[in-house]
Amino acid sequence: MSDLKIAGKYYWHYLKRYWRGFLVSIVLIAFSTWCIVVAPTYLGRAVEQLTTYLGQVTHGSQGSLAPFNHTLIIYILLYLGDASTIFVASLILARVTAFSTGTMRVGLFRKLQRMKVQYFDTHRDGDILARFTSDLDNIFNAMNQALLEILLAIAQFVGLLIVMFNQSATMAWVTMASTPLALIVAAVVMRKAGVAVNRQQDDIGKLNGYINEQITGQKVLITNGLQADSLKGFSGYNAKVRQSALTGQIWSGILNPLMQGMSLLNTAIVIFFGSWFALNGSLSTGAALSLVVVFVNYAQQYYQPIMSLTSLYSMIQLAITGARRVDEVRRQDDEVNRAQGQEMPDIQRGLKIDDVHFSYLPGKEILHGITIDVHRGEMVALVGPTGSGKTTVMNLMNRFYDVDTGAITVDGTDIRQFDLQSLRAHVGIVLQEPQLFTGTIADNIRYGEPDAGMDRVIDAAKQANIHDFIESLPDGYDTRVSDEQSIFSAGQKQLMSIARTILTNPRLLILDEATSNVDTVTEARIQAAMDNVIQGRTSFVIAHRLKTILNADKIVVLRDGRIIEQGSHAALLQENGFYAELYRNQMVFE
Amino acid sequence: MKVLMPYFHRYRRDVWWAMLSVIVLVFATLWQPRLLQTVMEAIIKNDQQTVFQQGLFLLGLAVLGIIGGVVNTIYSARVALGVATDLRADLYAHVQSLAYADVEKFSASNLVVRMTNDINQVQQIVMAGFQQITRIPLLFIGALILALVTMPQQWWGILLMMIVIVLVAGLAVQRMTKYFAQTQQDIENVNTVARENLMGIRVVKSFVQETSEIHKFSQASDELTNVTAKIGYWFAILMPAFFLTANLAVGTAVYIVGQNITTHPTYLAAITSFISYLMQILFAVINGGFLMTFASRAFISLGRIGEVLETAPSMTYVAGDDQPVAGDVQFEHVTFTYPGDDQPTLKDVSFTLKAGTMLGIVGATGSGKTTLAQLIARLYDPGSGVVKVGGVDVRQLPEKALRATVAYVLQRSTLFSGTIAGNLRQVQPDAQTSHMQWAANIAQASEFIERLPQTYDAPVEERSQNFSGGQQQRLAITRGVIANPKILILDDATSALDARSEKLVQEALNRDLKTTTTVVIAEKISSIINADQILVLEDGQVSGIGTHQALLKTNAIYQTIYQTQKAREEGLS
Repeated sequence: MSDLKIAGKYYWHYLKRYWRGFLVSIVLIAFSTWCIVVAPTYLGRAVEQLTTYLGQVTHGSQGSLAPFNHTLIIYILLYLGDASTIFVASLILARVTAFSTGTMRVGLFRKLQRMKVQYFDTHRDGDILARFTSDLDNIFNAMNQALLEILLAIAQFVGLLIVMFNQSATMAWVTMASTPLALIVAAVVMRKAGVAVNRQQDDIGKLNGYINEQITGQKVLITNGLQADSLKGFSGYNAKVRQSALTGQIWSGILNPLMQGMSLLNTAIVIFFGSWFALNGSLSTGAALSLVVVFVNYAQQYYQPIMSLTSLYSMIQLAITGARRVDEVRRQDDEVNRAQGQEMPDIQRGLKIDDVHFSYLPGKEILHGITIDVHRGEMVALVGPTGSGKTTVMNLMNRFYDVDTGAITVDGTDIRQFDLQSLRAHVGIVLQEPQLFTGTIADNIRYGEPDAGMDRVIDAAKQANIHDFIESLPDGYDTRVSDEQSIFSAGQKQLMSIARTILTNPRLLILDEATSNVDTVTEARIQAAMDNVIQGRTSFVIAHRLKTILNADKIVVLRDGRIIEQGSHAALLQENGFYAELYRNQMVFE
Repeated sequence: MKVLMPYFHRYRRDVWWAMLSVIVLVFATLWQPRLLQTVMEAIIKNDQQTVFQQGLFLLGLAVLGIIGGVVNTIYSARVALGVATDLRADLYAHVQSLAYADVEKFSASNLVVRMTNDINQVQQIVMAGFQQITRIPLLFIGALILALVTMPQQWWGILLMMIVIVLVAGLAVQRMTKYFAQTQQDIENVNTVARENLMGIRVVKSFVQETSEIHKFSQASDELTNVTAKIGYWFAILMPAFFLTANLAVGTAVYIVGQNITTHPTYLAAITSFISYLMQILFAVINGGFLMTFASRAFISLGRIGEVLETAPSMTYVAGDDQPVAGDVQFEHVTFTYPGDDQPTLKDVSFTLKAGTMLGIVGATGSGKTTLAQLIARLYDPGSGVVKVGGVDVRQLPEKALRATVAYVLQRSTLFSGTIAGNLRQVQPDAQTSHMQWAANIAQASEFIERLPQTYDAPVEERSQNFSGGQQQRLAITRGVIANPKILILDDATSALDARSEKLVQEALNRDLKTTTTVVIAEKISSIINADQILVLEDGQVSGIGTHQALLKTNAIYQTIYQTQKAREEGLS
């Protein structure tokens, strides 16, 4: 499907509910156009009447200015009509623009909340965020400026044609004579500009990429003394941008003066032929003069619609691309949630991962038949090198992804039978990156249950060994957490996120490399908090550092998506296999 | 503006052509109504000859206008691109002359923005400047004069029109400025919620908070929607008000002409041109207003560029020999505070490191390990005390000599995009393949490099994305050792290597770079257990220095770190 078609459907979806507003606007615009187009004829008539009056006066007869004054009042009334209708139409369209982009923005966000996690894992955050910022911005800007202008331009063009032919078909043809030339010129220039601007953007992209890479690596440049080298590389890219941007700027900048020139030329043509008709035609001097006045006015207006459409071209182009990109998100799959899924019950016997196969991309299987049995209240550790599939198991348990074949069962019931929300409410996770949200510390700890009272918040913080630290802050639990300038260390944030999970009292707990970003001393402190949480719960611990899982009831060693070893720490050391090697790698020995 | 002057001077020929063509264009635009007036007078007088002659003039004038416009665009673009490219080049060169502390002060991403977006803003305003800014005042003044010449006693009408327009615009701008500031704030709020949700999507989902997040976002979004609507309403008033004012002025003018037509019969032919001039004045005022807001943004950008250009490098080097010096390192009572911090990061650090020996540095996150290493490479200068390399204060070493002596490998010192060989030859320009193999062997990189189809000529993508974390670190070490430096600093540079490779790297360093002094910063005690000396840092102070065995006996902090990494079983290795 072409971008234009997609964009069309997208805008139709969001704009159709405003059809009344559009209808009223179109009627108003049509009326205002009628005013604008008709007004010059009254000016022409006024001039004609004045000429007649002057003629009468100079010939000594008694003339009257009354018709002239009368015409003039109509002239002014027409412009009053124009201004007030345009004002109302603009008001309506401003409202439509603001509220429809608002709906698009919230719609996009709603969609994000429903989408599969896969989408977020396969797209960069910056790219998704850009849809909220630059894409919706482009859509807003285009609607804000183009909506009214396009409607006006079309109405004016049509109106102008009607009136011109009403006045004098010959003069109308004269006014339109240069149109094909103008259209050809516009088409050629726009095509050239398109190609040149693309190349320019390409080169600018490369230059910006180079600058970004070099400046971000400035430490490496300085410590290796590579500044002169870097400058040399820069000069090449910079010179290229200069060349292509010059071409791009000239082609895209030249359209406006060309069209303005065409308009000037057209006016000249109209004056030239108009005066020739005035002198050689059968019209009276007054009528001829009025005809020239009116058509000079039309000639000046004639290119306005074409000019405003061409100047809006790049803006519209951006809005089409923007709509395509936002719509791409809109058409992603939602998470699969069974209709009338069961409430997830308390774990009675245990949990089983039963011969699970899984692939992120079709044909590239990551897990090749994993089976793990967990009894109620047990702690199971998953270890293995990067890329072995440890985190994938976590993704499956919370149904961030669903298994290809096999099943994960709780007391024999497939977790896909449960209501998704219920499942997640009872499965608590602590992630590698402790993601906090803007708000107070208390808000963050009670994130999973916003109605929880302060006593429960404090209790959770105590269990996570972070209460004393929070109390030591001047604002205590009301201290603001913000994403930008964090006053907390990675370790402190992790302890808060552990408190957040404790508060929800999950039946099944998953700790996914919760300590891999801190030094080993901090790790020991977090470990103590984690032991509190794990106490009495069925839990999965995914570990990078083995120190944290030595007490696990069962350690499962994964490698390339297969279980290669399984057992307690002591048993695995005894086996002297992969686990023992890993252990020796990480630890110091006397 | 001061920043731009020298660049305009450099392109003065283009500047003159751009200005000249604007004048031609303005002349053509303004003169047309005048000619029209002459034609009309000729029609009234039935003077065919004049009509024909003036008509040709009109056509000529139109063609002149087109030429003026095109020439103006070409030369404006030449000036804009010339100025922008040169400015960017000077900015880049200046940043390369800055010390690392200066780069940090601006932050790398901020400097990138200044070299890309801000320069782009300047380029656009220069382009618009030569296309519009010179034209608008000319058009305004020209149209004003011609309007007054055409109908002198209508001056008060023109004045009244301008006053009304400026008043309406002023009122609207005043209200809208408030709303625009509000918009910025609202956009930021919306983006914060969106960004946090993207980064924390797993948290949101696992705590089942989708509904409350949607509610939070809707609130932020609705505020933004309401403000944009208000701005829209003000704009809705603006344009119709301008045009209504102008048309009322026209109506009044025509009315007055009509009342006095018997005394000034020539005004009959002047009506159309007078209207044209009034409209030109109106457009000049409106466009002027728009350009002013546009220009104010560009001036902010220009200020940001100027700020960088005016920053003098906070570090200078003495001139002299570029031969490397010996590999001894000495810290004498070194205290260092990062610019902007109130607490020192290093406090009174002293130690001596003999050439050819190995120093390990351990300590908690934030204890000052990296800072210490950076002082050896002179990324910063100490606040007090002296850092000596080869027995010489590093501040007394010529830049090339220091770089030839010290090689610094960071945890994330990725290669630059290009090829592997290209990156290595940046450091050692005459390196042959055999020499590159030697360096890659030390870093345990040769086995994977030689498996690549193009081996040393294999491409390196941006941020070395086409290599795994462990491969990136091995490539960085290869680059670090290729020039056979006197001092090699490995700043957590083997964190992604498995223990076996790490051991092999250390053995190779001992074997092939026997005379090289190595400084190893590590999280794992196993990485530095065999060092000649281990330095334990705590809160920027030296807590202890000695061998592994000695520290285990005497240093409490070292013991704590060791405890967290010690195997439960003894003698398993």
